[in-house]
Amino acid sequence: MPLKAEGKGGLESSVHREDSTDIALFVRTSQEDMLDWDRQRIVDALLRETLIDRDTAERISIEVEEIIQSGKVKTVTGPLIREMVNAKLLEMGLEEARRMHTRLGVPLYDVDQLLVQHNKENANVPHGPEATNLTLAEGIKKEYALLHVFSPDVADGHLRGDIHMHDLGFIDRPYCSGQSLEYIKKFGLNLPHALSKAKPARHADVLLAHMIKFAAALQSHFAGAIGWDAVNLFYAPYLEELSDREVKQLAQMLIYEFSQQAVARGGQAIFSDINIYWEVPKHFEAVPAIGPGGEYTGKTYAEYEKQAQRFAWALFEVYKEGDATGKPFFFPKPLVHITEKFFRTEGHLEFLHHICDVAGDKGNTYFVFDRGETAKISECCRLSFKLEATDFEDAKEPWRMRYSALQNITVNLPRLAYLAKGDDTRLFTLLTERIQLAVKGHEQKKKFIERLMALGEGGPLSLLAMKLDGQEYLRLHRCSYLIGMVGLNEMVKVHVGDELHQSEAAMKFGLKVIAHMNIVCKKMAESTGMKFVLEQTPAESTAYRFAKLDMAHFRADAEPVVQGNRDRGEVYYTNSTLFHVGAPVNPIARVEREGLFHPLIEAGSITHLWLGEAHPDKKALADFVINVFRHTQNDQLAFSPEFTACLDCGRTTRGLHDTCSHCGSTHVDGITRITGYFTKVSSWNKGKLGELAERYRNQGQFAN
Amino acid sequence: MTLFTKNDCRLCDQLKKSFDLAAMGVAVEVLDGSNAAALAHLAWHGLVETARKTLPLLVLDDSSTVADFRHIEEHLLRRAAQYGVAATAAGRGAEACVSGSCAL
Ligand SMILES: [Zn+2]
Repeated sequence: MPLKAEGKGGLESSVHREDSTDIALFVRTSQEDMLDWDRQRIVDALLRETLIDRDTAERISIEVEEIIQSGKVKTVTGPLIREMVNAKLLEMGLEEARRMHTRLGVPLYDVDQLLVQHNKENANVPHGPEATNLTLAEGIKKEYALLHVFSPDVADGHLRGDIHMHDLGFIDRPYCSGQSLEYIKKFGLNLPHALSKAKPARHADVLLAHMIKFAAALQSHFAGAIGWDAVNLFYAPYLEELSDREVKQLAQMLIYEFSQQAVARGGQAIFSDINIYWEVPKHFEAVPAIGPGGEYTGKTYAEYEKQAQRFAWALFEVYKEGDATGKPFFFPKPLVHITEKFFRTEGHLEFLHHICDVAGDKGNTYFVFDRGETAKISECCRLSFKLEATDFEDAKEPWRMRYSALQNITVNLPRLAYLAKGDDTRLFTLLTERIQLAVKGHEQKKKFIERLMALGEGGPLSLLAMKLDGQEYLRLHRCSYLIGMVGLNEMVKVHVGDELHQSEAAMKFGLKVIAHMNIVCKKMAESTGMKFVLEQTPAESTAYRFAKLDMAHFRADAEPVVQGNRDRGEVYYTNSTLFHVGAPVNPIARVEREGLFHPLIEAGSITHLWLGEAHPDKKALADFVINVFRHTQNDQLAFSPEFTACLDCGRTTRGLHDTCSHCGSTHVDGITRITGYFTKVSSWNKGKLGELAERYRNQGQFAN
Repeated sequence: MTLFTKNDCRLCDQLKKSFDLAAMGVAVEVLDGSNAAALAHLAWHGLVETARKTLPLLVLDDSSTVADFRHIEEHLLRRAAQYGVAATAAGRGAEACVSGSCAL
């Protein structure tokens, strides 16, 4: 039976042998047309796709035709012809031509597995036809990226596991985006090539609809998180006429809409974050507020403090209730900024108790600490963009405020310790080389995105090229380039002999490693004009991938330090600069000591405190949070309780259990935070399962 | 006692001129943009954000920090007296910091 074919007149076609002695071969093209076998198509493809000369191409086509005519092959497919040509190219030593002539695709067996089995690389991707479309497309784009976007040294570095380039399947998009609601408040929902355009919203619920649709449009142009700045404040001018009940209703709609966006890209909920302030941030105080219809209301945002607070309060009431079964909402993640002004703002203590109540009960609250004059916008698992002078200038017209990291590349730290064999100089030299490789990868991705952006509103990134405020939505010259790290803890254990939490020497050496990374990033930024910044990689799958690769290629070195259950293959390295998840360190010591790394990691860091079944009192947590703000350098903090959801009776109980405490069913699923977000444990990869088993639960550490 | 400094920082230079820091047993860390050990040491004391606002910084033997220039001088004068090292503080005569140069 003839199989699939590719380009018009191209080599990718299939031929069918009617009879082993008859050479009348039929070729099916992608034009859904049956053509006769024509050797010329091999020649044409080679001349079009590679740089080889016509005579060589002719010779190859004749040799391939001879094999086909020899009658040994019953069914000849397009991909098979291409591979036969590739084999000839290799025989002739024409490796570069072979590379250019590569066919990207997926083995039949893999597709079959994929359609039936759940892909667990990202726990936020459900299992379904849309998700498999996403995974298949990602697979091909990843191959394309590694062959065509990145140079062989960078691609090999990734494949070997020296570095990990995140979201290669989304090579044609930037990594993530943080923005302001003011953009759609001012310009309405006005997307390039949309079937219709909407004027600026006149009512809060319409603004919400615009926000959701814009977020979905952004999700299809960015690989990762979509964050929103000061959401409660920017909604405020729409809330004046609404009763408390209506504001609560709006809060419910916002949270449910984002948490049920399983109809977006690949059935994947939008990784969404909402930044929330109790106070009116200083940089927005004097800014003229935009209200219904995109018009200025005649007031400044400072005058909307009470409305903004009303909305913030209502949002956390909804988080506290959880969904219809009492489960925590997975998205949008609420990030509350704790600042000096927070503590000077009326009602802050009640609000702090309110959000701590949610933190202890459901875990949603992220505490973002902006000390001194610092202001930032946070998103993803911990990423944050610190506002600089140009950003504060933008804040005067907040629709201009948008932030993007173009790519994230992570360094495998433990492997450097295996290679350095105790030699400091070797270790730091290797670390510098890895960062340089990451920088090269960043430059190559930037070049590729620039090429797509240059096609403007007629190109594939039309949304990012739109210029509603005079500048492209994606301001490439303002993008950040993230350099992450995985396994500092294991690196230090190999090199110094202790894990980070075990000795002062280990901590000090760990700080030196991160200080070195910080310095090299700054130097590379100066020499390239690109903003390289460190981020604690969330490493949902990277921590597993690096550990697995090192167990395969550096087994003797890796075996003593890799975390997790080796027998079950549930291995992982500790995320970024965190202490080992199982280290029995009391919460304040963990927050304080992990926090020493945070000022060196300028694009975001976090400490996670796992609560298990503990249900700490809101006042105890509030005291803890104040203490962290006042007395540590910690950047962000989240508390993570655990739950069991019964798939039979639908009830949710606290803690991870094998059976439902209500109906006794064993048909249950666990729910807790995987990296930055809550999700179902059944969707976790093996490395994360290994980590879950080892997490130190802070039971009885806070007054209950 | 450790003094965190930077090369192009006027106030740091002023202290280096006024005091024989080595003779006083004061360790000097220079945050010159390529010294990872000094930056890590700064981070160990939780002072990276403070140094981004002001330098020099003096960390006393009890790990407490002095950021105010006049107070740093006072501590160093006392230390100099303890060690029998001659010193004169610039005090109000210290050149004011040009914006940005006396910070990390
Ligand atoms: Zn049940």
